[in-house]
Amino acid sequence: MKKTTMIVGFFLIVVLCFIPGHFFAAVPETVKVGIVLPLTGDQAKFGEIEKLSFEMAMEEINAAGGIKGKKLELIIEDDTGRPEVGRSVVEKLITKDKVVMVGGGYSSSVTYAVAGVCQQNRMPFLVNTGSADNITTSGWDYIFRLNPPVSEYAGAIESLLKAVIKPKTVAILHENSLFGTKGAQEFEETCKGLGYKVLLKEGYEHGGVDFKPVLIKVKYLKPDVIYMVSYIMDASLLMKQSKELKLTPKMFVGGGAGFTLPEFQQNAGVSSEKVISATLWHEVLPYPGAKDYYNKFAARHKKPTEYHGAEAYAAAYVVADVLKRAKSFNNTDIKQALSMTNMMTAFGPVKFTSYGKHKNQNRLPTYVVQWINGKSELVWPAKLATKKLVYPVDWLKVWRY
Amino acid sequence: MKAKKITLIILGIVSLIFPLVIRSDYYQHLVIIALMWVVIGSSWNLLAGYTGQVSFGHAIFFGTGAYTAGIFVTKLGMSAWWGMMFGGIVAMVFALFVGWICFRLRGPYFALATLAGGEIIRLIVTNWESLTEGMMGILIIQSFRSKLPYYYIALTLAFLCVFVIYLVMKSKWGYYFVSIREDQDAAESMGINTTLYKNVSLLISAFFTGMAGAFYMNYMAFIDPQVVYSLHYISIMAILVGIVGGVATTLGPAVGAFIMVGVQETFRSAFFGLAPKWISQAHALVFGLLVIFVIMFLANGVLGDWGKIKRYVFRIKASN
Repeated sequence: MKKTTMIVGFFLIVVLCFIPGHFFAAVPETVKVGIVLPLTGDQAKFGEIEKLSFEMAMEEINAAGGIKGKKLELIIEDDTGRPEVGRSVVEKLITKDKVVMVGGGYSSSVTYAVAGVCQQNRMPFLVNTGSADNITTSGWDYIFRLNPPVSEYAGAIESLLKAVIKPKTVAILHENSLFGTKGAQEFEETCKGLGYKVLLKEGYEHGGVDFKPVLIKVKYLKPDVIYMVSYIMDASLLMKQSKELKLTPKMFVGGGAGFTLPEFQQNAGVSSEKVISATLWHEVLPYPGAKDYYNKFAARHKKPTEYHGAEAYAAAYVVADVLKRAKSFNNTDIKQALSMTNMMTAFGPVKFTSYGKHKNQNRLPTYVVQWINGKSELVWPAKLATKKLVYPVDWLKVWRY
Repeated sequence: MKAKKITLIILGIVSLIFPLVIRSDYYQHLVIIALMWVVIGSSWNLLAGYTGQVSFGHAIFFGTGAYTAGIFVTKLGMSAWWGMMFGGIVAMVFALFVGWICFRLRGPYFALATLAGGEIIRLIVTNWESLTEGMMGILIIQSFRSKLPYYYIALTLAFLCVFVIYLVMKSKWGYYFVSIREDQDAAESMGINTTLYKNVSLLISAFFTGMAGAFYMNYMAFIDPQVVYSLHYISIMAILVGIVGGVATTLGPAVGAFIMVGVQETFRSAFFGLAPKWISQAHALVFGLLVIFVIMFLANGVLGDWGKIKRYVFRIKASN
């Protein structure tokens, strides 16, 4: 009786293994580029905004003639926000889909793991979001990064703190993830350098819903500034619960990621008002195509976009530019073309350089946005600002107590 | 009996030549992962299925094995393969602690204690950055570019694990384990040292799970605490593999491992690209439905309830 089971079962597996491989033989007319993004799981919102932007850019590139007469095909795969899944996804892209290069990379943990596979397989990988420093400080020569490393995210925040808020004490909250931990460590160093006292630096568990215990601790310590490095749900909940506890520092500061997404404002509602965050991009920046991209995205998807979307959109254009310049589609030529990149995108100028411990890292300035009347407004540096920074803030009035 | 032997021989040959026939790295990868789950599922089954001590904390042993291998690289500068030797042993040391504390409890209380244990260890590893690199994780460079060596190592490990458990269950120990599951007080009054044999079962289980963890470090080359100490993806998955395949059957967890890995990947990739993309967003849902289905209709798992499946699916009369 068990015999039939085994035989039927095993042959089913074997047959399953055979079919798809032959069904999906490569269509020769396209140039395939693999994109790894979180489309399900906690980070799905970031993955979605990047996916829509990648697809928009791909259509535009193909409408403009594609690459050397071939169409650009982005194979967007779901990494579910987990490093080990990201690894298998990128292996599949390399061995089964035979992509010529890899892009995407949202969370730092996943990006780091994917970058390891790419380096080992000598597969050029253009990272557009994963920001932990070690991704470009590991000496990997096939890994290129479009966005600044997390240690530079707070650059504009730092100058704003120095010029306007002048805090004496700071509390730092962060998610226990590679991005959160590194972002918090870097900011702690920054504060020490500026002579601000860090009263508390505490990580919280990924997927947490009750932040009141730690927020009560913060309320008791009365810091001037609360700096948070969070993804999306936790960012909204932190602000909502701060409002409920009437926790009123001089300023709430977000370290990018969750604090700039439109969903942050939707979820947190009035609690998101006047919160400032580090950002890498804003639609009013004087880059060619920035405003265009924002308008097209808003018209098509009926919602605003922000820096993650712009990173993806620009990354697609960099990929197209690189593939057009590459002598052939083999890995060394693409890597060569990547390292020669020098172009302007909607996200800003792109040129990969090596400095400090970083290798193949694009350098960009950072900015500060503030949520004013439900809109994310660029407030720093002051000469580019769309609205003046609202400071000091009477939080209780903002929260309509 | 003879038919069974022939089936096993065929199965053995097929598994030996599989990677030589199917050359795609991608499918080889899936089977390697499934083989790793055979080891974890079978180990869990020894403790939970045969000995009746339902563990919700097998990630403790898996993660410990993986970190042992990882720390060999980061702290000692040695090859991660040393982890294959020591991963299982270090996991056994942890198992002694777990057993010492948790075996004072029975039934659901034991399950809850192991669940808490897994979370505690995960938090310690997350925060002990000087030893474990914390959330940065440990990334190593794989020893082999080809999947073949990994495949055969995983296959050997899976075979060893299933075979050892089979032998143990044939021996006197096996009867002790089952008697503990059936009625611990009765077993005690028959003169069985139940605490000792529960620990023996746990140690064997932890050893193989730790080996699987060390293999994972070598093969995947990247670990962080949320991956290898994960409650969802390791501890619960171990239970699902056991339950879906068939609790307290020798080959049940092996079947369960292939089913679970297959289902997961099929839905994640939206039927290998055949189905519309939204299917892949439902993969968590499908997992849930599968578990509900198995618990309601196949309480003994696919292998345990094979007779039932035959009756309903293949419409064969219940003559056997």
